[in-house]
Amino acid sequence: MLSTIDDATLTKVAGALGEEEAVKLIEMLKNSEELTDDEIANKTGIRLNNVRKILYKLYDHSLVSLRRTRDPKTGWFIFHWKLQPDQLEGFILSQKRRVFEKLNIRLEYEKNHDFYYCYTPGCKRIPFEEAVELVFKCPTCGKPLMHYNNEKIIQTLTQKIETLRKELSE
Amino acid sequence: MPKHNDLEQKALQIIMNTGNDGLSQSELWRRLGASSREGSRIALKLENKGLIRREKELRDGRWTYRLYPKRLPASIDSIADCPCMMCPESPRCSPTGAVTPQNCEKLTDWLLRITGNECKVLGDS
Repeated sequence: MLSTIDDATLTKVAGALGEEEAVKLIEMLKNSEELTDDEIANKTGIRLNNVRKILYKLYDHSLVSLRRTRDPKTGWFIFHWKLQPDQLEGFILSQKRRVFEKLNIRLEYEKNHDFYYCYTPGCKRIPFEEAVELVFKCPTCGKPLMHYNNEKIIQTLTQKIETLRKELSE
Repeated sequence: MPKHNDLEQKALQIIMNTGNDGLSQSELWRRLGASSREGSRIALKLENKGLIRREKELRDGRWTYRLYPKRLPASIDSIADCPCMMCPESPRCSPTGAVTPQNCEKLTDWLLRITGNECKVLGDS
């Protein structure tokens, strides 16, 4: 199947997996038909246990597929890994839907609550209901709590959600 | 000589990257380094697969086709930096779960960062 994802997006997805090594690994798989974890470790210089960790992570999201054979000498299984770029679009879509859902929940929360804050680095915002119970005193530093304007957060969230809504409806 | 499927993939990428402007069929085969015959065959194949649409247009007194992608390339840019993406807490995260999008500190930090808020040390209760 033809993939609608370009190499740059593929690399970005690998980066989003949280590891620089994932980018290296994907680069390697991209240029080969099929590779074993040993081969990947040798070619990239990534430690074998890390190679496996990343591969399983990619496998969880169906971004790679595997084929299992048995070593005739040792009887052990050999795993042959292959990149599945055609699954990337689905992966990106599902991630976007998930983020969209979370941001919507957060937006509702931000809209429906008034926040109070002591403006001390490291302390937390407190919703009005809790602030009343605390007699408007920060439970961490003891300073008085003052109203916190979350208008900018609401604006940013609204913009992000709108962007995602458009992208998801394309 | 590249495999036919490789050329198709390359052609699809080129067409998708043109976005809503599309490109003429002749431009495609030039960019692919293929012959006009190959270029038009690939364009036809992609159309048959439902990946692009071809529209007839008159150019320099000659009829040619302009190729448009049916879908724009999926991009991860809008969520790439969002902590919810690939969050390890994701299975536990729900409005009433142990981790919630309402009070997630990682999400708050990210929101403040992209908001450009001066008060970057803010957390959430």
